[in-house]
Amino acid sequence: MDAQDLEKLNDMLDNESDLREKIRDKINDLDKKTRIMVGILNKIHSTRTESIPALLDSVRPVLISCGETFEGLAELIPPHQFWRWKDMWCHSLRTAVFAATIIEYLTNHSLLSLKAAAETLGIKEEWRDRVTLSAEDYLHGLISLVNELSRLAVNTVTLGNFEEPLRISAFVKDLFAGFSMLNLKNDTLRRRFDSLKYDIKKIEEVVYDVSLRKLVPAGNTENGSSK
Amino acid sequence: MSLLPTFQSFRDELDDHNDRREWLIKASRDVTNIAKKTIFLLHRVVLESENPFDDRSASIKASKQGREKLVQIQQIYASLSHELVGEKYWRYQRQVSPGLQEFIEALAFAHFLEFSTLISFQQVQDTLRDSNGNLYFPLTISDYLLGVSDLTGELMRHAISGFSKRGGRSNALAVCAFVRNCKADFERFTPHVRDLSKKQSVTAESLVKIEDAAYAAVVRSSEYDLTPDMLDDLVKSYLSNQNDERPGERWRDQDRDTDFFS
Repeated sequence: MDAQDLEKLNDMLDNESDLREKIRDKINDLDKKTRIMVGILNKIHSTRTESIPALLDSVRPVLISCGETFEGLAELIPPHQFWRWKDMWCHSLRTAVFAATIIEYLTNHSLLSLKAAAETLGIKEEWRDRVTLSAEDYLHGLISLVNELSRLAVNTVTLGNFEEPLRISAFVKDLFAGFSMLNLKNDTLRRRFDSLKYDIKKIEEVVYDVSLRKLVPAGNTENGSSK
Repeated sequence: MSLLPTFQSFRDELDDHNDRREWLIKASRDVTNIAKKTIFLLHRVVLESENPFDDRSASIKASKQGREKLVQIQQIYASLSHELVGEKYWRYQRQVSPGLQEFIEALAFAHFLEFSTLISFQQVQDTLRDSNGNLYFPLTISDYLLGVSDLTGELMRHAISGFSKRGGRSNALAVCAFVRNCKADFERFTPHVRDLSKKQSVTAESLVKIEDAAYAAVVRSSEYDLTPDMLDDLVKSYLSNQNDERPGERWRDQDRDTDFFS
């Protein structure tokens, strides 16, 4: 290799590793935020229904602040190179999606769509080729949501809320029906999807327990359904 | 509200992605296949000629034939370039890369036979352009380096299998120096390029094999007070008495890239 080529390649590689470092800084920042959110959201399992809104209000500013980090990322990533770098932040992004969707569930008992999730996280449409929320990452976030809701079904009962498990059950069944439509190949999404049935089983057991003991008003069992 | 329409669109999106991915994997295998055949062709054409190292004509002929075959790969890339536009290239880079590296290896071998130099990054990139000069897709440094790293193994084969030919020993010495330089040049890139250090250890092994052969050449020729040409003639007459089979013949039976010289 002649010296000039050698130098050129070396410069190109140095630039790449500089960029990688800068991206890593942004991701550390994002990680910090998602950890704070997950920390606060852990308290939903020990918070009574009436105090949940206040708890969610304390997470929202952190969630919104993720937008700044994504903006910083979008400035760093060269055009068209989203897929080249996305593996570096997909874990944090999925956690952020989880936070956004569980906040939405606890607020409105509805599913935050992919588009709405991207908006909440401040990911702009015009960054498509640099920073975007892919279907795969969104679906990963939803699976984390189901994992968490199955725990919540148990813990709300402990806190004396017997109706929440019914609502969770209907919501999760809808989601499961959706996931069942996908042709998943043998990847992590598939494996995590396979684990959903245990969450559903757990939720159903809770529903069974509270219904059997007539802890919920009769006829209410199907009311939580969103169909 | 039913979630089914939403998930329907996810299904379409994921199916589309998986189909494209599979398709590119297949295309990449085709590329690998053609590239491997080209490499064998290059070895074969050189060895089949009467005196491959007397002048450059045998190597240039091999290189020319090799390049003709590599056009098939360029056609494959031309046909799938529309699937690799913009961000899609980076999405499927991992599917494209294995075949691309094999192509670069074959291209680098053909280039070496013709010019005795290492093909540059720019030269590789220029083979990936259509007639208007537009790139089929951008070349990454990593694919380039991993591709040309594999060249050293082929050069080891080339040097050792041509060893008994006239001029084969000086060819082996030249290849030895070239591979040694490659290894030195690539060394500084290893922290930046994943898997390059593995390739470097393969290169080191190949280098040792060539060095051992070069050593044997020097030691043995020192026992005779003959010029290299006379030695070549001596070896050649010995070989032709021993062996009626044309040396090129055995290459036809080898269709896999196994390490049959080790």
